Amino acid sequence: MKFLRKIWTIPEAGILVPLLVFTLVFYCINPTFLGSNSVAAMLRAMAFVGVIAVGQTWLMIVGGIDLSVGSVAGLCAIVSSWLMKVQGWPMEAGLAAGLAVGLLAGLINGLISVHFGIPAFIATLGMLYVARGLNYLLCKGYPIYPIPDSLKTLGRAEPLGLSWAFVVFALLVVIGDFCLRRTTWGRMVYATGGNVEVARIAGIDTTKVQISCYVLTGGMAALAGMLLMSQLNVGQPEIGVGWELDVIAGVVIGGVSLFGGVGTAIGTFLGLLIMQVVRSGLVVTGVNTHWQTVAVGVIMVSAVGVDLLRRRTKIS
Amino acid sequence: MRRISKTFPGVRALSEVTIQVKQNNIHALIGENGAGKSTLMKILDGVYPAGSFEGQILLRDRVVHLSSPFDARKQGIGYVPQEISVIEGLTVAENIFVGLWNEGGGGIVSFKKLFARAAELLDSMKLQLDPHRQVVTLNASQRQLVMIARALATRPSVLILDEATACLTLDETQNLFRVVHHLRELGLTTIFITHKMSELFEIADHATVLRDGTVAAEFERAQFDEHEIVAAMVGRKIDNFYPARDSAIGDQEVFRVENLTVPHPHLANRNVVEGVSFSVRRGEILGLGGLVGSGRSETVNALYGRLPHSGRVFVEGREIAVRTPREAKASGLGLLTEDRKLDGLLFNFSIQENVTLHDLSQISRWRVLDRARETACAQHYLERLSIRAPSVRTPVANLSGGNKQKVVLAKVLFPKPRVLFLDEPTKGVDVGAKNEIYKLMMSLAAEGIALVVISSELPELLALCDRFMVLARGRIADQFTRAEANEQRLMLAATSGANKPLTN
Ligand SMILES: Nc1ncnc2c1ncn2[C@@H]1O[C@H](COP(=O)(O)OP(=O)(O)OP(=O)(O)O)[C@@H](O)[C@H]1O
Ligand SMILES: [Mg+2]
Repeated sequence: MKFLRKIWTIPEAGILVPLLVFTLVFYCINPTFLGSNSVAAMLRAMAFVGVIAVGQTWLMIVGGIDLSVGSVAGLCAIVSSWLMKVQGWPMEAGLAAGLAVGLLAGLINGLISVHFGIPAFIATLGMLYVARGLNYLLCKGYPIYPIPDSLKTLGRAEPLGLSWAFVVFALLVVIGDFCLRRTTWGRMVYATGGNVEVARIAGIDTTKVQISCYVLTGGMAALAGMLLMSQLNVGQPEIGVGWELDVIAGVVIGGVSLFGGVGTAIGTFLGLLIMQVVRSGLVVTGVNTHWQTVAVGVIMVSAVGVDLLRRRTKIS
Repeated sequence: MRRISKTFPGVRALSEVTIQVKQNNIHALIGENGAGKSTLMKILDGVYPAGSFEGQILLRDRVVHLSSPFDARKQGIGYVPQEISVIEGLTVAENIFVGLWNEGGGGIVSFKKLFARAAELLDSMKLQLDPHRQVVTLNASQRQLVMIARALATRPSVLILDEATACLTLDETQNLFRVVHHLRELGLTTIFITHKMSELFEIADHATVLRDGTVAAEFERAQFDEHEIVAAMVGRKIDNFYPARDSAIGDQEVFRVENLTVPHPHLANRNVVEGVSFSVRRGEILGLGGLVGSGRSETVNALYGRLPHSGRVFVEGREIAVRTPREAKASGLGLLTEDRKLDGLLFNFSIQENVTLHDLSQISRWRVLDRARETACAQHYLERLSIRAPSVRTPVANLSGGNKQKVVLAKVLFPKPRVLFLDEPTKGVDVGAKNEIYKLMMSLAAEGIALVVISSELPELLALCDRFMVLARGRIADQFTRAEANEQRLMLAATSGANKPLTN
């Protein structure tokens, strides 16, 4: 009992407990669920959305939100594959340009919402459309391939039986968590998200902190888009469609408040993991795939509910 | 309330407290910061619902179970919490009648009726507040008045005032007392929490002293004695309530402002501060007097870069620009803001994270935080200001009001400012802690820091400061030294110029 109560007070408990429960249930129904192939597939599948979610975690902690991440990911994939294929740029230059586009999109999002005060929800929704439109203008709706061979081998490589995308994701979670918890920048992010005015009085350049989060999120979106491109081996114009919702769901399940100021990167990792476990679990147990989508919705709302409950019991 | 006990994780806030409040009485509840006053009142208001504490609540000899503030309201309890919580996006009237907007009107709010009811209520409280005004534009004391009006809006039979006078001016407090007296004639019972002795003597019929979660003493009005009450509160005698000044004021001028003008944030062609110039020397304490709305807070906030302004500012002879708090802080200025709930603390943060926020460079290397050092630094301030908390890692949200205030103070001291603006530094702080804060101010002055202090408590201001500047309607109404100072002169200056219009 005491042990259970202790678990309850760990910040990530709201997700950790259901995560274990779900895993156990699916394992009992079908033991292959925890087979190494199945686990590797799960981890690979969550990597792309995961890379972006690390950025979105920072951003939402600072009090912002970015709805354009999926579109930006798609645009960056198309831009870099177009430069490499049509313009004949070398691989490094093409990837760098893709990354630059993502950072730029983030910077624009940040300037518009922080500097000019247009609500982030609207500003980044606008960017969602703009980036998707530019994407189709550039590739005229057709996939761009082949991409350079060197990139192909990179994308297809399976380090540790996983994928580069997952390795990058895992690294980002670790780095992201370290930055938030242990650096002055992370402290400023929490402070700005907690109360902008208090942060400003403390001499923190809140505008800069907020914009930095937008820029980083844009960069992560670009990274995710290009990682998927190298794995698929084509500049697919549909890369990133609908990702923003998965990203936000994962971040919110992971315990980041929509009002800013609270959350961790580890929490986000667990949030994404639970979504993936349920999705894959339902596949393994042979339920109609559309139930997955229903399940994600239910989980997100209940996760936030459990978190509220946990906070309340802690206070009184 | 009978044998009430309440425990928070790691803290026993109340143990077996029994208090009995007579009908029609004005019952004062006093005690040190963290004694459990607010906790007891939150239990009475159902904030901590039945079941989350031990003991019974009896109203008119009947046991009641309150599971929410809404229940309490139905039982005729009106509660003004210690921390102001207004809804910023709404008007005064909407805030007063929160949740009761549509009295009898179904789901549709009749704003005409709402404003009329609000006007009537404010009028009966003799308050000059426009019900149509947006709450965002109100200052701390006006917000407090809105909170009081909200509690009275339900016509309670028991009114709880948890340090409601902490940010009211003298006049407003007097007015509130008149209202409370008047309502007492009509049968109102009031429970009144305060840290100001003068208020206790003025209005209370009976006083209960809490200390460390138990009842330390009870006093009937006839037995009121300041020394005994203070001794019961803090468990010891305090000799020099206002510590004597033992350091000399330096010759060197540390801070100077010339011709400070601050435009009104909402109205064009109006200034809230106009042509204010002053200077402070090393180790000097300058008192800023004036009524609420006279421009005192605006002056210090503008000087800290929080409000647009014009005028020249010098620190140690060098002219500086203070367009943002960042620039102000970099030049060695520090500001303790008036309202800790609004812009004083980060409630998600622990004590140590709050304390060190103003200067992260002290606790980091290569931008990586050194948490051992952070804890050590915060621990130092915890002890220096005797903040009562289980540890420096306690979230500030769990502290009592006075201890929160001390954390805010620790926060602004942390970067070691050379000039410090203190806007109501002892708001909501108990007598013992006030004494400690006064001593702290003296030692800061002795270290050579120049202090500018705003306080609505005249005796405090007069006792602590070396020099005074009184503002009225945004202009300097009078300036005098400690030797020339007295209460009359200060009040006279503060109320002068009340009918001179401000223009630019
Ligand atoms: N939510 C909470 N969680 C944990 N501890 C709490 C909480 N609220 C209050 N406490 C603790 O309970 C004790 C009593 O606090 P309370 O707010 O009642 O003091 P108070 O007498 O009102 O003091 P003040 O004069 O400073 O307002 C304090 O030690 C405080 O730290
Ligand atoms: Mg209190």
